[in-house]
Amino acid sequence: MRDGGMSEPHDADASRRPLLVVADSLAATYPGSDAPALASVTFELRGGQRLAVLGPNGGGKSTLLRVLSGQLQPSFGKLELPAGRVALVPQTERSRLDFPVSALDVATLGAVARLPWYRRPSRADRALALDALGRVGLADRAHRTYGDLSGGQRQRVLVARALVQDAPLLLLDEPFSGLDAPSRRRLELLLEELAGAGRGLLLATHDLDQARACELVLCLNRVQLAFGEPERALTPQVVERTYGAWLHGTGDPEEQPASPGRTP
Amino acid sequence: MLEPLTLPFFQRALWEILLLAIVSGLLGTWIVLRGLAFFAHAVGTATFPGLVLADGLGFAPFLGALGAALAVAWLVAMLAERRATSADSVTALALAAALAVGIILASDVFAAQASVERLLFGSLLAIGWSDVALAAVVALVALVAALLGGPRWLAAGFDEVGDAARPRRGAGLALVLLTALAAVAALSAVGALLATAIVVVPAATTRLVTNRVASWQIATVLLAAAQGAIGMWVAFQVNVPPGAAIAVLAGAVFLLVAVVRRIAASRSRASMALAALGGVAALAFGGCAGGNGSTARSGQLEVVATTTIAGDLAGEVGGREVAVTTLLRPGSDPHEYEPRAGDVRKLAGADVVVASGLGLDAWVDELIGASGSEARVVRLGDHVPTRLEAAGGRGGEVHHGEGDVDPHWWGDPHNVLAAVGEIERAYAAADPHAAGSVAKNAAAYRRRLRVLDRRIASCIARVPWAQRRIVTDHDAFAYFATRYGIELVGAVIPSTTTRAETSAGDLAELERTIRREKVRAIFPEVGVSPRLAEQLARQTGASTAYTLYSDALGGPGSGADTYIGAQRANAAALVAGMSGGAKRCETGA
Repeated sequence: MRDGGMSEPHDADASRRPLLVVADSLAATYPGSDAPALASVTFELRGGQRLAVLGPNGGGKSTLLRVLSGQLQPSFGKLELPAGRVALVPQTERSRLDFPVSALDVATLGAVARLPWYRRPSRADRALALDALGRVGLADRAHRTYGDLSGGQRQRVLVARALVQDAPLLLLDEPFSGLDAPSRRRLELLLEELAGAGRGLLLATHDLDQARACELVLCLNRVQLAFGEPERALTPQVVERTYGAWLHGTGDPEEQPASPGRTP
Repeated sequence: MLEPLTLPFFQRALWEILLLAIVSGLLGTWIVLRGLAFFAHAVGTATFPGLVLADGLGFAPFLGALGAALAVAWLVAMLAERRATSADSVTALALAAALAVGIILASDVFAAQASVERLLFGSLLAIGWSDVALAAVVALVALVAALLGGPRWLAAGFDEVGDAARPRRGAGLALVLLTALAAVAALSAVGALLATAIVVVPAATTRLVTNRVASWQIATVLLAAAQGAIGMWVAFQVNVPPGAAIAVLAGAVFLLVAVVRRIAASRSRASMALAALGGVAALAFGGCAGGNGSTARSGQLEVVATTTIAGDLAGEVGGREVAVTTLLRPGSDPHEYEPRAGDVRKLAGADVVVASGLGLDAWVDELIGASGSEARVVRLGDHVPTRLEAAGGRGGEVHHGEGDVDPHWWGDPHNVLAAVGEIERAYAAADPHAAGSVAKNAAAYRRRLRVLDRRIASCIARVPWAQRRIVTDHDAFAYFATRYGIELVGAVIPSTTTRAETSAGDLAELERTIRREKVRAIFPEVGVSPRLAEQLARQTGASTAYTLYSDALGGPGSGADTYIGAQRANAAALVAGMSGGAKRCETGA
């Protein structure tokens, strides 16, 4: 037993938990663009920690998720993912709501990622998927058509899929957007539980309150502005710089491409 | 009702369509789900250059089609991967490129033959067991691929961003290549244009009423099989081309399901009943229409002729001893023939088949094979005394025949005399009792042919030598020109494949020739668009007022519905055209 173990469990256990992400001076540039969409990103994430990536639209959050999930190669810097597998929980609107699949079918798709190409998801994988749906509180909706579920339920199905994928690191892209208060609360509890069970969670968000609820926060506006525990990292200056452009209403369009000169 | 099931050609077609139903259920569903329907259609059509290449270099058309389809599929997959353009635009681009390459190959590199176009159309009634075997292999590949690829295609299609199944590139490429394979498998059965109707439409229909992948696939297999079998049966009873019948049925079922579903959603019972009633009425109407009986009286020889000219000769020689069925219709292009079940049945029951030969109607061999017919086959062109090289002079452009022989032998009546002898011999061998009567008919017809020959010769002789220079639409009049001393200066389209095109250089050269040789008339052919000929005429001052009959006779009442009538009409047109209207030709009976 360490001192203050009860009040600061994450800090106390931190060094014992396995490292999941080590990023050092990461930069990423989209093909065909000169200006990096993301630069100077340096952080560490361990199992059991929730890291909120905070930033305005177009600030580089999605770019960071793409780099971490291997869809985009970093143009500079070093990235280590010691645990290997990464599960991405995308925004639910990005998935096809008209697909002929049940919630259980979607959750089962998580198994496809870890199976070799010649194997189909087995009965055991389906049982695992049903179990995962139970953990996100959707056991009774397992056989409903995915497109007919509410936004919050769909988001939880995607989390269940990530659980079936059995990756130690989960990347969640704006998981709370479009959810009503009860759904939101439900998802928060679920994420807290997952972290408690030792998984690392990285949440892209532009919600300050959400970020404050996490163990770690990383402020991003094209470049990394701060990283650390919320109470230390989220100084008024950092918040101002993170949201400067956004608050002043210059209205960054959507997500990525860089208009040169915007970079502070 | 079950009579067709006893016919071998019908059995093969049924097997083929049932195997394609499996392909439709297993791959068609993914094609619909992943938005590849247009691609599936395009890739089937894009097999054209492969077919031309196979025809020109003499390897199996299937390999040519498969090669071209896979090349196009790979190109589309690679370009779409870069995401510079949408997959639809890339597909359209690849299709246009493939067709362009095909046209250049067909027009300028190889002398494309009619068989290429027939492959693009295909026919369920002409397929052999090798086609069925191919469909079986594709169905098996589809089964294995769908089992392995299904979850990955679903994962990748479900959300491309969060796709859990990376690396997914292999799976996506596999689906695109399998789509190409399915299109090629359907090619020999129904042709490129209807392949989509067979492979994709059933899946689109069942998608309206199913909500899970497994039930969707099973429903699609069942629907495609039912539609195929019913379409084949209806086509057999009504005597229409089966591929087209199945496609129409598939489209109708889709519409019906869509309408009923719409109405069911709006919960209006009355209109639902109305729609159901309409559907039943449509089916009943389809079921009752048509049906044609045999025309042969007892004791008559059953004769099937391919072209209208062969049919006319077969009838003249046979007289009352024979009942002649002609497969091609008056004025129709031999390329655009699609067999109907009635044709195959006629062939199956025929005593004698009279074909034009020299490759013009090579498709009949396939059909005879499919029908299991034991008829005597007379290929008239094989027995004629005068044989000309195909389209001499301009770099080995072969007319639509096999090999290097011009197949329009009937332009010279002396050849027809020989053909009449062949028909006579075949009839006598098939029915010795009819020999005497047939010999009388043949002798009478020979006399008329000799009269015709003399009259045409004297007609043409009225035109001075210097004026006997003509340009025709195609190279179809070499025998006629050789017999009567006319110089063929050129042809507007140096190949009769309708997909071939004349190059600007060829056209300019022809224009110079027409001016230099003082050609007075360009002769369009009946039933062929005269646009190029007319344009050439405007530029050179030549006339296009007179048209010629080449591969097919005219319809009833045209005066050219017999061989003799058509030859007379051609002679009159040629004399008038060459002399600038100054001379007339009286060849009257």
